[in-house]
Amino acid sequence: MTADERALRELYARWLDRAGKAGFALCLCAFIVYAGGLLPSYVPPAELPRYWGLPVSRFVELSHLPHGWGWVRLLGYGDVLNLGAIALLALVTPVCYARVLPRLFAERDWLQAALAAAQLLVLAVAASGLLAAPG
Amino acid sequence: MDAAALPWWIWPIALFAVSFAIGIVAVLAGVGGGVLFVPIVGGLFPFHLDFVRGAGLMFALAGTLAAGPPLLRAGMASLRLVMPLALVGSIGSFAGALVGLSLRAELLQTLLGLLIVGIAILIWRTRAADRAEVEADALGAFLRLEGEFVDPAAGMKIDWRTHRTLLGLAAFAAIGFVGGIFGLGAGFANVPALNLLMSAPLKVAVGSSGLLISVINSSAAWVYFERGALLPLIVVPAILGVMLGSRLGARLLGSTPAPVVRRLVIVVMLLAGLRALSRGLGVWA
Repeated sequence: MTADERALRELYARWLDRAGKAGFALCLCAFIVYAGGLLPSYVPPAELPRYWGLPVSRFVELSHLPHGWGWVRLLGYGDVLNLGAIALLALVTPVCYARVLPRLFAERDWLQAALAAAQLLVLAVAASGLLAAPG
Repeated sequence: MDAAALPWWIWPIALFAVSFAIGIVAVLAGVGGGVLFVPIVGGLFPFHLDFVRGAGLMFALAGTLAAGPPLLRAGMASLRLVMPLALVGSIGSFAGALVGLSLRAELLQTLLGLLIVGIAILIWRTRAADRAEVEADALGAFLRLEGEFVDPAAGMKIDWRTHRTLLGLAAFAAIGFVGGIFGLGAGFANVPALNLLMSAPLKVAVGSSGLLISVINSSAAWVYFERGALLPLIVVPAILGVMLGSRLGARLLGSTPAPVVRRLVIVVMLLAGLRALSRGLGVWA
């Protein structure tokens, strides 16, 4: 294994560590805010038992929760703030890939760079909702 | 007891406790927690399977995010091995999530039951491959699927490479697809695919499996997120429970008879699988 590969591995590990810990901390803080009732909820927790046994399409219809990234406008609600924290946790992997990509280009490791870029594209398509939006 | 009569806050607390317990036994038994979470929570809690699968993906993702950095630093998770397999796996997982969210719950429960029973049998029957030197195939050599790590138990540096690369890529596309449909972490399948099929050393297979789950599950998780299937009241207690449970499990690892726990997990999976099957077939709703 070359020194470059070790450095790349360390870079990925460092960012995975930092981003992961930040994501968990935010999740915990946001949940305390939500469960402690420090912010109003878009769907109050006491009403959730009426919905959580339903298919998600029906839940979204009845709760009027916005699709896709529409929740960003509602971050003042405790439950939606938690969605934001969960989204940050799901962003940890793309952040790590985005961090190692310039290093791969700088090292002219074209194959790994192409794989990392393709992975970022797949995750971007998934996160964008372009193909996942309900019909 | 009527579940609807219970106060709402009982459920996140119970979910935290169950996730904590799964986190412990998953580490002790050496199986991915996601494969336990979905059938157990889907069978015992009043949540629709859509929300359980969404939480299952985040549950598995959270467990692997915490474990990834030390495994990478120890050389037991290989980025070079993970990148191509994660790419095909995440495309499969994305497609699986789209398919999974379009299927009826009864059909999903039935398929989940069959899958979990099958996985329990797979875990029971699977043995790790002995360390064997293999010649890299052309695609593996092109992708440079090789590396080295220092095995503390053996006290030596181990050079490794993989083979059957095309089959391995196909296996990870299929594993990702199934994981996306059912919200599973798929560690149960990653390790045998890397170790038995591609001949990666067992420790590299286990370490890289965690990193693979973190990438593969991300793409499926976004589909569930997009559809509104990530309910914070379900997802966050599950994440926090598994994180704490995994840490305790890692501490108990040296003093607990792992084979006993492993057999217990297989029995629990068989019961959870049969429960899902019976719900899907309408035998025991």
